[in-house]
Amino acid sequence: MSELSPRDTEDEEPLRDRIAANPRPAAIWAGVMGALLVVEAGALVHMFFEGLSIVLGGLPGEPAVALAESAMAAASEIPTLLSRELIPNQGYHNGSQWVGTFMGLSPGVSWAIRASLTTAYGFVFIWWLWRGYRVYRTHYRYADWTPRDDQFDRFSRHSWGKFGLIVVILFVIMAVFAPTLGPTTLEQNITDPYSNTIETWDAENQEVVEITAGEANIGSGSKGGSSNVGPLTYDDFERFHPFGTLPSGKDLFTFMMYGSRLSMFIALSSIVISGFIAAGLALATAYYKGLADLVTVVVSDSVQAIPVLMLAILIAVLFSDHWIAGLYNGGVLLVLLFSVVYWPFLWRAVRGPSFQVSEEDWVDAAKSFGQRPRTIMQKHMLPYIVGYLLIYGSMSLGGIIVSVAGLSYLGIGITPPTPEWGRAINLGQPYVASASWHIALIPGLMITLVVTGLNALGDGIRDAIDPQSEGGTADEAAVGGGA
Amino acid sequence: MSRWSYFGRRLALSVPVIVFGTTLTFLMIYMGPIDPVSAILGQQYTPDAARRIEQNLGLNQPFWGQYIDFMINMFTFDLGRSWVISPGTTAVDMLTIYAPRTIWLGFWAVLIPLFIGIPLGFYAGLNPNTWNDYIASFGGIVWRAMPNFWLAVILVSVLSQSKQLFGWEWASFIVQTNIVTPPTLDFLAQPLDAIRDPHAFWIDNTDGNGSFLAALKQTLPASIVLGSASMGNEMRIGRTAVLETINSNYVETARAKGLKNSVIVWKHVFRNALIPLVPIITGEAFLLLGGSVLVEYVFAINGLGYLFFQAIMQGDLPLVGTLMYIFILLLVAINITQDLLYTLIDPRVGYESE
Repeated sequence: MSELSPRDTEDEEPLRDRIAANPRPAAIWAGVMGALLVVEAGALVHMFFEGLSIVLGGLPGEPAVALAESAMAAASEIPTLLSRELIPNQGYHNGSQWVGTFMGLSPGVSWAIRASLTTAYGFVFIWWLWRGYRVYRTHYRYADWTPRDDQFDRFSRHSWGKFGLIVVILFVIMAVFAPTLGPTTLEQNITDPYSNTIETWDAENQEVVEITAGEANIGSGSKGGSSNVGPLTYDDFERFHPFGTLPSGKDLFTFMMYGSRLSMFIALSSIVISGFIAAGLALATAYYKGLADLVTVVVSDSVQAIPVLMLAILIAVLFSDHWIAGLYNGGVLLVLLFSVVYWPFLWRAVRGPSFQVSEEDWVDAAKSFGQRPRTIMQKHMLPYIVGYLLIYGSMSLGGIIVSVAGLSYLGIGITPPTPEWGRAINLGQPYVASASWHIALIPGLMITLVVTGLNALGDGIRDAIDPQSEGGTADEAAVGGGA
Repeated sequence: MSRWSYFGRRLALSVPVIVFGTTLTFLMIYMGPIDPVSAILGQQYTPDAARRIEQNLGLNQPFWGQYIDFMINMFTFDLGRSWVISPGTTAVDMLTIYAPRTIWLGFWAVLIPLFIGIPLGFYAGLNPNTWNDYIASFGGIVWRAMPNFWLAVILVSVLSQSKQLFGWEWASFIVQTNIVTPPTLDFLAQPLDAIRDPHAFWIDNTDGNGSFLAALKQTLPASIVLGSASMGNEMRIGRTAVLETINSNYVETARAKGLKNSVIVWKHVFRNALIPLVPIITGEAFLLLGGSVLVEYVFAINGLGYLFFQAIMQGDLPLVGTLMYIFILLLVAINITQDLLYTLIDPRVGYESE
């Protein structure tokens, strides 16, 4: 290892020493951060093991899945603020008062308190991450100014971009806190309604009766006309439904929360994977040029010459019985599919910038300096194109979310009963013009909002990174995804 | 490099693209996890029938033989037959039945947004930062973000209940039509009727051949939905393009020369603002081809997208392969047309840097 990184050439203390020299701001920041983490420790550990069991479940032979699942159960025992145990909303009205809900409030109010506290928690958490950057910038960074600061400043003046950021944060909070946000649980509501019971008040006999959630669901379906449980109403079993119910009587809000988890998982993983492919290829083709570039052009043109949605339908159906389609209810298959389909778009977007940077003097200098190609690409070229990847990545996310919804609208891709927004639209289609309009309308509005937010965030990032760009290039036509 | 040698190179480069895409399709369909023979036979699987189909499809040959056969068949347009949807019908016959509906739908889906999106975008660009501009721009952005299939679902329901909702019935509006239905395009077979019997050709819908107006009405909601994303795009790009040209030096010069405002707008701003819209307009074809599956499904327009979906769901894999090949050909052709149009409209662009 003969090359010198810029760090080594200056006499710069490592970050740890700088913090040791002035520990107070960092300690305050870390303290609050720690407090924020500790109160939600149970949920975090639970999520970690849930992710782990999905990964382990994907491996052949399923080693240690049972272990992860028992760890998950143990994690549920860790006390957690903002959990449904602490602020419960499922109870019954015994004629004079509410039993089993938070402080005897009505289920709707209890749920609203829990949901708003959770959302507020999410925003505070993001705000603390931002504070962390500010603390680092004012107290620990040597440079008074870096170009990155200007980008952050430009973004914080960009109200359209900030609107997008807030929508995206809300979406992320929905996905992360799905188990807490829903008025009922996934098991009770969707996956296993007949093994879970709810308590309800039998006014005739003046007693509490226990029935399965499945039975209660049958009596609270939204099928237009007289049988309807609309948004912000209670059903006959005194359960509160913020978004109303599905035709099967399942709670739409819980469905939406878990659906956002799946959408986010698929969209984010596919864009990260295709971003890696695109960045790698862009650097390599810009560095070596010639034949490497030509081959990549032909391959990417070929992939782009296949209509995305048709390819998605084809693959989802062809692989429907394959073991890959069993991973995460078909989610992993869609991730692989969209990674393969989207890298050419991202590669096209960064091809120009990477060719530009490969012509720069500093790359030449690094070459004559004897640095290895890999190091040159990573250190001197990659930072230049990461911004473009961010812009186009955030804009393509919306296209993927819409495409996944379109596939599950057609009944392919994600296996039922796993919640996916597109399937809610399909379920609600016969009732759009009836009293149960909410089933198809709310998921569609949510998709529109999320996609608008992602596009706005992309606009904001673009204007922050590249203030000269006027926006609106041909590549944006691809963003819609064609669904 | 001259325009024509650039074009020639573009054509030559498209050959490996088509070969690669078709190979990919072949691998997925014939070597993928689903065996086309059992997909075709489904419940009626017998070894005898399976052998017969294998024989007919050439699946009993070794891999390379099959692959070369498939490629040769495709490239010589020997497109094979449907096996499940309409057994024995050649793919070419299927295409002549289903394609016109998609083309009709696509034609209006390109045309309608052009006449709404571009004027709106230009209007917003000529009146920047006014409330009308904000409303138009924001509307375009939201419009673009809406999932097509959802918009289609909502529109179908609203139109079919229009009597109850608005007291005005869409189905009997001007001419009587169904709301979800494939358009009847038989009237196009006698184009001379447009002059000879104009009432039957343009308006009358009763003889079973359909009419221009009825067919337009049948596809109008679907084409608006299908074109919605591009409408938003055209608006946005149109707005930026107008803003860009209006602040450029030659417009300032024209203004300094004392040209009238209307002349400046029509002669200098619009023509140049149209240039960045070309790739958007041709790029729509991608959206149309892909999106047509969902929109045709919701509106029950029996076009190519619907045929493709049915073919996949019913396991008509040989037909799926053919359709994929046709779509790939179409997209490559559109791509080349786009590049050519681009160099024709704006000679500065493109081929020098390639």
